[in-house]
Amino acid sequence: MNVRIAIAVCAALTATPGSLHAQTAADRPSGGIEAAVGGGLLGGAGLGAADANLRGNDSTRQTFRLFATSSDFARAPLWHARVGFALTRRLLLEGALTKSSPDVRVSVTSDAEGASPVTIAEKVDQYFIDGSLLIMLDELRMGARLVPFVAAGGGYVRQLHEGQTVVEQGEVYHAGGGFKYWLLTRRTGRVRTAGVRGDARAYLMRGGVSFDDHPRSHVAISGSVFVGF
Amino acid sequence: MRSVLLAIVAVGLFSQPASAYLHFRANDDGQSIVLKWQRMPLRWFARDRGVPGVAASDFQAAMSRAFATWQAVPTASISFQFAGFTGAEPFTDDGVSVLGFQDEPGMDRVLGATAFLIDVVTGEIIESDIFFNTAFLWSTAAAGTASRFDLESVAVHEIGHFLGLGHSALGETEVHADGDRRVLASGAVMFPISLGPGVTRDRELQPDDIAGVSDLYPGGGFRGETGVARGRVTRSGAGVLGAHVAAFNPETGQVIAAFTLNQSGEFEIVGLTPGPHVIRVEPLDDADLDSFFDARDPIDIAFRVTLHDRLFVAPSGGVGERFTVSVQPK
Repeated sequence: MNVRIAIAVCAALTATPGSLHAQTAADRPSGGIEAAVGGGLLGGAGLGAADANLRGNDSTRQTFRLFATSSDFARAPLWHARVGFALTRRLLLEGALTKSSPDVRVSVTSDAEGASPVTIAEKVDQYFIDGSLLIMLDELRMGARLVPFVAAGGGYVRQLHEGQTVVEQGEVYHAGGGFKYWLLTRRTGRVRTAGVRGDARAYLMRGGVSFDDHPRSHVAISGSVFVGF
Repeated sequence: MRSVLLAIVAVGLFSQPASAYLHFRANDDGQSIVLKWQRMPLRWFARDRGVPGVAASDFQAAMSRAFATWQAVPTASISFQFAGFTGAEPFTDDGVSVLGFQDEPGMDRVLGATAFLIDVVTGEIIESDIFFNTAFLWSTAAAGTASRFDLESVAVHEIGHFLGLGHSALGETEVHADGDRRVLASGAVMFPISLGPGVTRDRELQPDDIAGVSDLYPGGGFRGETGVARGRVTRSGAGVLGAHVAAFNPETGQVIAAFTLNQSGEFEIVGLTPGPHVIRVEPLDDADLDSFFDARDPIDIAFRVTLHDRLFVAPSGGVGERFTVSVQPK
């Protein structure tokens, strides 16, 4: 579905070639709604290590390790849809839904009775629902069309284990930046701006699938096409 | 150190596992029925007899603490009531449940034992008695006593039997040159061999014990909030009987185990915290077989310890996706 939307947006852009050379990023209007769809890659993250322990029967009261595990999220493609509202020409308030389906991988080693080490996995459907504030850095503009931005925000993460019988929830925070490249800006018509955008973000997650109490960090890069109304 | 069994006298019963840990069952005309109490509170008497270092009042106090440990399980619905002291001996079919010291010098490897009077039609436990063997030295000291067995720890184990639980195989032992076995580690109070004199760790129930009693007497949202793993263990396509299957939750650190129950190699583990689990299958220790199964059962112990190649996700209530673990011969 995301692919179909992207194609439709590209078609809209190419249908208005007269505007491509007429406007610049500096001419972009404020107060409008902006929608974007795109995809990218969510980096992996460690989930912690945990041992399967029994109560040891010695004077030191140490545990007896049956086997050891260490776990991580594998990197995975992500897809996102965003809707933003331009508070001013420099500030954009944005809400986003991001979906990815990373594998949770658990490496099992050091079995007390010599079981062969294995890495086992399950797929998790992961959704971020978050909001962020974008600040356009007009002073760092490169040429007439490309403007970098920084962004930060937070939201909710929802994860469904394989079989979709268990839901895990948590918080997600992000900070990062990127650029917008305007292909179209105009003051009339239903579509008033359009362009492409690149994002790089660092995510910090608390809760959700986690085998220790520590928050975990992911990086993500993505690209999208946007249309302003 | 000599190993000492926490034995159960199960005359007329067999400890066919029903799910995680063992639940006692009886056979009535080919029908297998789970043994459990059907009326609460469970009234018990303390035998009015002490031993050196443990007065009758100390004995009663230790038993009360051990009963309270089981009663405090939030996901089980059980209650006990101390009915008083009695001169009656345990292991007498008199319709009342008596716990007490008893002279059993011939049972030099048995710290304590539990016996039942049951209704073989309904499976209802009518009476259950526990004796503690005076052939051993006992202690009720809060921190334990180095050369004496902790009465409360052994009582917690025997009261697990009193409730209808059998033995758990979550533990590791080593054989000494004299043939005795020493416990290296234990993951359940219901492990059949004592941790030894001076050790008080079995006063505290482990997740496997809690799952076992909660399955027998569910309460506190146990069925709705924990998940069940069902599956098979096979070797060359055929079911494996008596395989020990453990589920480890990396998030909670809990280990809960079960056995394959039939020739098809089917097992069921209940009481799992929702989320992913590592599944590990191992053969029973050949020295332990009669602690868990009837000696006539063809238990397969000739296969390698195996880790399942997928994570099992326990649901929040209900049964997760069934799976099969294939093991290789040793």
